[in-house]
Amino acid sequence: MKTTFFRCSIFILLFGLLFNTNGIAQENDLSKYRMRFNLKTIKQHDNSRILEANFIAANKKDRKDRIPVYDTEIEFFNVLDDDEVLIGSSKTDKEGKANITVPENHTYLTDGAGNINLVARFKGTDALDEEEEELSVKNLYLDMNLTEIDSVRSVVVNAYVLDSLGAKSPVEGTDILISVEGMLSKMPIGDGTIEDGEFILEMPVDIPGDVNGDLTVYSIIEDHDEYGDVIQKKTANWGIINGQSKKDTNTLWSEAAPIWMYMVLTILLVGVWANYLYTINNLFKIRKEGKQLEMDT
Amino acid sequence: MDGDIVSRKRELVKEFSPMLGKSSPFSKIWIGFLIVVILVGLVAFVLQVIKGHEITGMRDNVVWGIYIINFIFFVCLSYSGAFISGILHFFKTPWKNSVSRIVEIITVLSLIVGPIFILLCIGRLDRLHYLFIYPRIQSPITWDIIAILTDLIGCFIYLYLTFIPDFAMLRDNSEDAPSWRQKLYKTLAIGYQDTLTQRETLHKITRTMSAMIIVLAIVAYTVLAWIFSLTLQPGWNSTIFAPYFIVAGLYSGVGVIIISMFLIRKYFKLDHYIRKIHFIGAGIVLLVISLLFGYFTFSEYFSRWFSHKIQDTNLLNTLFNKYFWEFILANYIGVLVPIVILFFKKFRTIKSITFAAVIAVLGLWLNRYLIVVPTLETPYLPIQDTRPEFIHYSATWIEWALSFAGIAAFVLFFILIMKLVPIIPMSGIIDYEREQKRHHKPLIQNQKK
Amino acid sequence: MAGIKPKNNSSNRRKFLKLGLMSSVTAVTGASLLANLASEEELKSSGEKIKLLTPDGKIVEVDADNINKYPEAHITPAESRKGIPNRKFVMVIDLARCKNARNCVESCQKAHNLDYHEEFMKIQLIQDNEEASPYWFPKPCFHCDEPPCVTVCPTGATFKRDDGIVLIDNDRCIGCKFCITSCPYSARQFNWGHKDKFDRTDQPYSPETSVPAAEGTVMKCDFCPDLLRQGKLPHCAKACPMGVIYFGDKNEDIVTNGEETVRFSELIKDRAGYRHLEHLGTKPNVYYLPAVNRQFPLERGFDVDEDILERYKDVPEVQDFKNQNKTKS
Repeated sequence: MKTTFFRCSIFILLFGLLFNTNGIAQENDLSKYRMRFNLKTIKQHDNSRILEANFIAANKKDRKDRIPVYDTEIEFFNVLDDDEVLIGSSKTDKEGKANITVPENHTYLTDGAGNINLVARFKGTDALDEEEEELSVKNLYLDMNLTEIDSVRSVVVNAYVLDSLGAKSPVEGTDILISVEGMLSKMPIGDGTIEDGEFILEMPVDIPGDVNGDLTVYSIIEDHDEYGDVIQKKTANWGIINGQSKKDTNTLWSEAAPIWMYMVLTILLVGVWANYLYTINNLFKIRKEGKQLEMDT
Repeated sequence: MDGDIVSRKRELVKEFSPMLGKSSPFSKIWIGFLIVVILVGLVAFVLQVIKGHEITGMRDNVVWGIYIINFIFFVCLSYSGAFISGILHFFKTPWKNSVSRIVEIITVLSLIVGPIFILLCIGRLDRLHYLFIYPRIQSPITWDIIAILTDLIGCFIYLYLTFIPDFAMLRDNSEDAPSWRQKLYKTLAIGYQDTLTQRETLHKITRTMSAMIIVLAIVAYTVLAWIFSLTLQPGWNSTIFAPYFIVAGLYSGVGVIIISMFLIRKYFKLDHYIRKIHFIGAGIVLLVISLLFGYFTFSEYFSRWFSHKIQDTNLLNTLFNKYFWEFILANYIGVLVPIVILFFKKFRTIKSITFAAVIAVLGLWLNRYLIVVPTLETPYLPIQDTRPEFIHYSATWIEWALSFAGIAAFVLFFILIMKLVPIIPMSGIIDYEREQKRHHKPLIQNQKK
Repeated sequence: MAGIKPKNNSSNRRKFLKLGLMSSVTAVTGASLLANLASEEELKSSGEKIKLLTPDGKIVEVDADNINKYPEAHITPAESRKGIPNRKFVMVIDLARCKNARNCVESCQKAHNLDYHEEFMKIQLIQDNEEASPYWFPKPCFHCDEPPCVTVCPTGATFKRDDGIVLIDNDRCIGCKFCITSCPYSARQFNWGHKDKFDRTDQPYSPETSVPAAEGTVMKCDFCPDLLRQGKLPHCAKACPMGVIYFGDKNEDIVTNGEETVRFSELIKDRAGYRHLEHLGTKPNVYYLPAVNRQFPLERGFDVDEDILERYKDVPEVQDFKNQNKTKS
C-alpha cells in the first residue's frame, strides 16, 4: 500500500516534470560556446562619446550560432595606473550590447601620452565568468565645414588632438570616409587620408538632397587604433531641389476619376432614368383614368 | 364593334386560361426535378460559403472560371433578347406577336439568373455593399453594375408594360378562377380599361421603351465586353471585342428563342400561333448572325495567327493543344452546322432548325469558355508552378452543380411566369385583328357602294 | 492502552506525510502543466523567437521585439492611403548576381506569415531567346506608376500612394479578382480558403504589414512600408546574401542593398537598367540590371528542393541537369 502510493506519486511527479519541457530541458551546456566580450568607443558629432560593450556567446563549431547575453550589468571605468573611476554602467540588451553616452564636458584621466584608458567589466555570476576589456583612445577633434573654395563646393575636414599643454596638434595618416545621408543608408562620395590635420574633398554637384534641397554630409573615421570611431556631420542647402513630381490626379488609377467620365456617366444615366420616370408617370395616368372610369360606371 | 371585341376577348381568355392552371402529372414531375436540381445547387453554394472558394477549381492563375462564363452567357441571352424584342416592337414587325412575349421573358429571367453567377465568384459576399458605398467609376466592373441594374429595371418595366392589357383581359374574364388570382389581376392591371386614350398612352410609352431597350442592350453588353478587352492580357486586349460579343450574344439569344419556341409550341400545342413561318424567320436571322459570328471569330484568330506575336502564339498553342476539341466544337461545328442547315431551303424544317439552334447555343457556351480560360492559362510571365490545379483549370462538381442549378432556376421561373400570364399575348391578337378590321372596313364600304 | 497510542501517533504522522506528499505532487504537476499551457499560448500568439543567454547561464527563447513596433507605430487602413511624405520608392535588381539562393523568398514569407507555396517574391527562370542563357529573375510586385490593377478595382481596395507604393486594404477588398486578371506580371495572389493564421490577434491589421491576411481577399508584395518608416530595408533586400536587391528613394537618387550605397541614376545609366515588359506602358518601379558578366553559373541555382526545381522543367538546361542526375544515380 505504502510502496504503491509512493511509486504512484513519484511517477506523477516525474510525469509532470517531464511535460514541463519549457522549464528544465533547456541547454545549460555552455561548454560549446566561447564568450566574446568587446569594447568600442564612438565619438559623435556633438563631441559626446559612446562607450559600447558587446557580449556574445559564440558557438565554437558553428559560426552562425551566436547567442547574445542579455540583461547583464556592464560597468565602464576610466583607469589611470591603479586608479579606477566609474563612468557609468548599463545592462546588455537583446543584441548583447550595452552602452553609455559620456557627455562632452566630462573630464577624463589621461596618461602621459595623452591616452584615455577605458575598461569595460562584467563582474561575473555563478554561471558566467568575469569578463574585462581594455581600450586606449586619444580624444580626436574632428571639425568639418562645407564651404565654397574658389566657387567649388568642398568638404573641408580638420582633425587635431589637444596635447598636454592644450595646444592643437594636427593628426597624420588617418583614413577618413565622406558620405552623404540617405533615407536608409549613407552614400560614400569620397575617401582619403588626413594629412597635416586637413582633408579637402570636392563635392559632387548633382546630388538631389532632401525635399528642401538640404544635404547632410558625414565624415567618419572608422575603427582607428588610436581614435576609435569618430563621426562628424554637417548640413548645407547644396542639393538640387528635385522639383516635386507632378501629382497624378484625375487619372484612371487615382481616387478621383477623369472629369469627362463623370460627365458621360451623368448624361447617360440621367437620360435613361428620365425615360423610366416618364414611363412610370404615364402608367399613373392610365391608372387614374381607369379609376375615373370605374367611378363613373 | 365594342361588343365584338369584348366577346372576342372572352373567347381568347377561355382559350388560354387552361394553360394558366394546367398542372398535369408530367409538369409536376418536371417541376419537382427542377427543384431537386436547384436544391443540389443550394447545397453546393452553402458548401462554398462555408469552406471558401478552395473547393472550386479556380486557383491563382485561372481566377475566373465557370461562374463568369455562365454570367457572360446568361447576360448575353438577356441582351440579345432585349435587342430582338426592341426591334420587333419598334419596327412593328409582322408576326411578332407570337414570339415577343417569349423573347421578353427570356430577357428578364436571364438578367436575373446571370448576375447571381457573378455573385458566386466574389470572394467576400459580406462586403457586397462596398460596391455601392465606395464605387470607383474608373473600373469596368462599376460600369457593368450600373448597366446591369439599369437594364434589369428597364426590361422589367418593359415586360410589365406588355403584360398590362393581358392582365386587364384576365381580370375581366376570370370569374371561375380562384379569388387570389382575381385580386392579383386586378392590382396588376392598374385600372386599364382599354379605352382609346389609355391604349394610345400605353402604345406610346411601350414604343419609347422599346427604343431605349435596344440602346441599353448594346451599351450594357459593350460594357461587359470591356471588362475583358480593356485589360492587357493576350487574347483579351482586342479592339473588336465589343461588337464581337454583341454578335455572339445575338447568336445564342436567337438560338435559345428558337428552342423555347419549339418546346412551348410542343407542350402547349400552340401550332396555330407559333407557326413554321416563325421558325423560318428566326432561322434566317440565325443564319445571318451565324455568318457574322463566324466572320468575327475568324478575324480574331486569323489576325493573331498571321502576325504571330509571341504572346498570341503561346495563346494559340494553348488553344490548339490543350483545348483542341473544344475549339473545333465551338468555332467550326458550332458555326458551320447551323449555316449548312439553314442555308438550304429544303433543310429548313422545324425540327432541324431547332437542332441547329441547340448546336449554336452549345457552341457559343464553349466559345465563351475558350475566351476566358486559355488567356488566363498563358500569362505574360510563364506559370512556373508544380501544382496541377494552378497550371490547368478544371471545374469541380460545385461549379457544375451551381451551373445546372442556374439553368434549372431559369426554366422554373419561366414555367411559373407562364402560369401567370398566357405565353401568347392576347392583347396582341386583339390589336392585330383590330388593325385587320380597320384595313378591311373601307374595302367593304367601297364594295357596298 | 499503551499499545494503541503510538499506533495512533504514527498513523497521524503517516497521514500528514501522505497529505504533504500528495499536495506537493499536485502542486508541482499543476504548476508545470500550467506553465506549459501558458508558454504554449505565448507561442501561439507571438511570432519570431530569439535565443538569449541570461546572466545565470541559461539559454532561453523569448519573443523578438515586435519588428513592426506595434502599438506605437500602427498605421490604420485609412492612414495607409497617404504615403511616407516626399519619397518615391524604387527597387533595382541585379540579375548578374542572382544565384537563386531564395533567401529573399523565405525571409519575406517569414515576415508576412506566408505558407510554403505563397510567395510575394517569386523567382522565375527566364530565357529571353534560344541563344541566350537562362537567368534567375526575382519578381516582386513592381508597384507600377500607371498600375492596371488600381484602375480596375471597383471598391478602391487597392490604391497607389504618393510615395509610389501600391497597397491592398484587406478590409475593403470584396474578392472580385479583377486586379489579379489585369496584372500583366502575375504579381497578385488570392486567399482561396480559410486558414488559422487569419485569426491572429496579437496585432491589428494594417495594409502596411499585410498581416494578418483575410480569406477571400487579394495579397501581394507591399515593399514593407512598416520597415521603411523605421529607416530599414525591406526584408528581401536585407536577406539577400549576394546583395542582388537594391532599394531606395528616387527623389534623393540613392539606393542601397545593405552594403553598397550608390546613386540610382548612375546605376541605371552605367549598367543599362531596364524595366520588364516596358512596352505595356505600366511604368514599373522595379528596374533590372541585365545578366551580363554573371557571377555564378546557372547550375548553382539548381541546388534547391526537388519540387522547386520541378517548377522550371520547361527550360532545357533544367531538363539536361535532371537527366544528368538520373544517369548518375
